[in-house]
Amino acid sequence: MAASPTLAHGFQYAGPSHQAETAVAGMWLFLATEVLLFGGLILSWIYARHFNPLGFAAGARETELRVGTLNTAILISSSFTYALGLSFLRAGNSRRLLHCLALTLLLGAAFLALKFGLEWHDDFRNHLFPTDARFKIVGAENGGARLFFSFYFIGTALHGLHMTVGVALVIWIILRARRGEFSARYHTPVHLVGLYWSFVDIVWLALYPLIYLIR
Amino acid sequence: MRQTGTQPKTPPDVGRLLLTWVLLLVLGGVEFGASFLPIGHSMRPLIAVPGVLMIILVAVNFMEVGKGPVIVRAFAVAAAFWLLVLLALGSADPLSRTDYYVPRVTAVAEH
Repeated sequence: MAASPTLAHGFQYAGPSHQAETAVAGMWLFLATEVLLFGGLILSWIYARHFNPLGFAAGARETELRVGTLNTAILISSSFTYALGLSFLRAGNSRRLLHCLALTLLLGAAFLALKFGLEWHDDFRNHLFPTDARFKIVGAENGGARLFFSFYFIGTALHGLHMTVGVALVIWIILRARRGEFSARYHTPVHLVGLYWSFVDIVWLALYPLIYLIR
Repeated sequence: MRQTGTQPKTPPDVGRLLLTWVLLLVLGGVEFGASFLPIGHSMRPLIAVPGVLMIILVAVNFMEVGKGPVIVRAFAVAAAFWLLVLLALGSADPLSRTDYYVPRVTAVAEH
């Protein structure tokens, strides 16, 4: 009778599954703190918009709705491809995991390129940075619109930073997967990075209507 | 320490994930379309309702919040609860405040 694979785990855990569950719970706890970080940002939007509805509407009308909507579809698709890859790995197909991870990486890079290479570039060129002396929106809506773009730049920069970390993590998972470190029986790091990646997607799903749609 | 496996192979759940992806795109389209409806400033935040459904879909079907150990669900529920407390308490003042109009001419006269 063939021997079952060696089960290695930290001394403080009852077994490998206990170690895996602890790691997943730890990631969820980290994500819970991130929810409160972005919650403060959303609260600032509620507060500032309530006192400046016209300025916020004027600011939102100046955003690139097409780019924002395309980026939403891109991020949704990247979460899908990552979850699909993990599902294939659980079925023992590590080759398809690599294909899905490559696609996820490509979509993440496309998001960052559109957001910062195209959209931010146009925003600066159009004098939409809130401290710009030649700020585009003038008159009674000027103050509210500057507040809106303060929220816009802080929100998208914070999200972009998380995206960049996510891209680096996906590259790390790809490198480890290429070395054959993951299998149907061991894939905790793939699962953890997937949780992070989908959370960053969730943050964008919250920012998208606040920035582009509520105008 | 690296662990080597306890989890048995499971068939890929392509159908459920594909359906979730399509639903997310449809809800995104609904949200996008709703932004063009003639809604007043005070009601426009309702446009984000499909976005909330999208967040729930991602958490349930991509992050598998319901499948993990109980402690995972506890952390997820706690995050949602404290987010609601933060947003409700933080916005209670501005949303319930009554603003009284102060004529500009009076303010200037006092100076």
